[in-house]
Amino acid sequence: MTRSRPQPDVVRMLTLVPWLIERPGASLVETAATFATDVVTLRTELEHLDYCGLPGLGGGALFDVTIAGDRVTVRMADELRYPMRPSPHEALRLLLIATTAERVAGADVPALRSAVEKLHTALGIAPGAVTVLDAEPDEVVLVARAAIAAGVRVRFSYRGRSDEAAAERTVEPWAVELSEGAWYLHGHDVGAGAGRTFRLDRSAGLVATEEPSVVPVPARLESPAYQPSDEDVVVELVLDPAAQWLLDAVRADETRPAGDDGSLHVRLRTGSPEWLARLVLMAGGGAEVLLPADLRERVRCRAEDALVGLRGAAQEAPHEEVAGA
Amino acid sequence: MPAVERLVNLTIALLETRRPLTFEELRRRTGYYPQPDPSSARRMFERDKETLRSLGIPVETRQDFGMEDPGYLIDRRAYELRGVDLDAEEVAALSLAVDMLGREEGALPLAKLAARAPDPAPLQAPPTRAEVPVGDVDVFAPAIVERRAVTFTYRTADGRTGLRTVEPYGIVRRRRAWYLVGRDRDRDATRGFRTDRMLSDVEVIGPAGAFDVPAGLDLGSVVSGPEVATVDVLLEARPDGQWALGARGATDEGPGPDGTRRMRLAGIDPVRDRAWLLGVAPDAAVVEPPAVADTVRSALERVLARHAPGAEVAR
Repeated sequence: MTRSRPQPDVVRMLTLVPWLIERPGASLVETAATFATDVVTLRTELEHLDYCGLPGLGGGALFDVTIAGDRVTVRMADELRYPMRPSPHEALRLLLIATTAERVAGADVPALRSAVEKLHTALGIAPGAVTVLDAEPDEVVLVARAAIAAGVRVRFSYRGRSDEAAAERTVEPWAVELSEGAWYLHGHDVGAGAGRTFRLDRSAGLVATEEPSVVPVPARLESPAYQPSDEDVVVELVLDPAAQWLLDAVRADETRPAGDDGSLHVRLRTGSPEWLARLVLMAGGGAEVLLPADLRERVRCRAEDALVGLRGAAQEAPHEEVAGA
Repeated sequence: MPAVERLVNLTIALLETRRPLTFEELRRRTGYYPQPDPSSARRMFERDKETLRSLGIPVETRQDFGMEDPGYLIDRRAYELRGVDLDAEEVAALSLAVDMLGREEGALPLAKLAARAPDPAPLQAPPTRAEVPVGDVDVFAPAIVERRAVTFTYRTADGRTGLRTVEPYGIVRRRRAWYLVGRDRDRDATRGFRTDRMLSDVEVIGPAGAFDVPAGLDLGSVVSGPEVATVDVLLEARPDGQWALGARGATDEGPGPDGTRRMRLAGIDPVRDRAWLLGVAPDAAVVEPPAVADTVRSALERVLARHAPGAEVAR
């Protein structure tokens, strides 16, 4: 069996030096964790650093790197007492991470706000250069989060993407998660006796109960992002330019121009035809289902049902409205 | 001599010098590039120099008057990150952010920022998680950070395509979409450009520091557009619709015909919420205002016409 050799990283080595100068006797394990690497790679990089500095006549002036057990000390390395500036990529990535976290969890971690401000100043980037909208937790997320903190179950009515009707759920909440613009609740579904993930904008009337949660939070929670399945239906759509917001709501496998008017031919998979039919309805004629035929028929039926409902409602409308129209 | 040691030591030699060092001087000082063939030694040095630059290390080339060969150095002021004053709580908060959203991408940049800062204070992580595609900002990062103009081919919402030249002020994430916000030079106006409507690669043009970001500009407002007047909408909802309306905060106003219930939704934006009303239309019919009912009706008629049997577009 061959093991991949640790890959030393020049930028990490240049950053390790000032970081370790400030922390004599730092733990290898903790240092590796801070730098998102493993101890074997870290050791390799430290061994290389012991040969770095200003080589030259008489051995030159090299860094002194001492490893004893889990502890490392770097001396004689004043040439690198300051870290290098983050690259533009690193700077913007870090700003996106910090800004998103501030939007999502700033209420619980107030230091995020001042940290984001100081990041902009230190990096020399205008405030707001990375702006994250619509990421603040709404009321239902706050209720769920309070229930997690209090260690109690929540109750709500829920209608998943493929559910025929809404049903009452009792859930021991584990965590809330913002993924692709929507909030989810991870928790133990008491009725199902298993862990589940709920999209909170498909829930109604979420309240905290006084029943304590008992099932412990698992070490790993599944990402709520859509996972393709073998049972998915392949769908082909044409989207006019005005209906292309729909691409925000689905994960397209393929898009290509469907003519020179800016419309797109889109291929995607879905596990819930009813949900997709509603989405096409929402585009109000700007989207058309080409395949499969039964989904196309489903869209037509839903539009017909809705028009029948509207005709009935018009007859029920107050008389003064009709007279005034 | 392993390559990483040579690259680190080349960096240190170029940082420590006060005046530009020529290739020959670097060779003597470091003992590197000993190949007897001068052109292969030179090629190796050129490769190293480009590697350092690609890592973001600002290696400068200078050929001052009277110098026979170009010299090289790294300006400490361009290389060093100074003036970071994060406290222990802020370092802890940023570590939490990196743990939550991207250790791969965020750990090393944060280590640079926190190298001379206090160690993180203890912090209880909130039960909140989030995901964001961190690498998506890369393509715009050099232009935004260095304030350079960019050009790209763009398709507007109504399908027109054209070349844009933009001074990029920043980037906005809204739900699943990204917008580049900046000054459109040809239109002399601040605009937001959806990145998924950019039809070409984004090409950086012109020098760094080409523009200033207007003080106090709110990038989010450029993308959100103006607030519009909202209306109250009365609907007749079947059981499935009652749930959907209730989930959105509608109030029940009593029974309607055929087992429906009359429900009122406040604060509906007739333009932005039109799609939502269409999505629930099979289960909830708009009664008033009549203008909203008419909008929904004509949209449904277009859906019907487009999905009539045998009317598939041939594309």
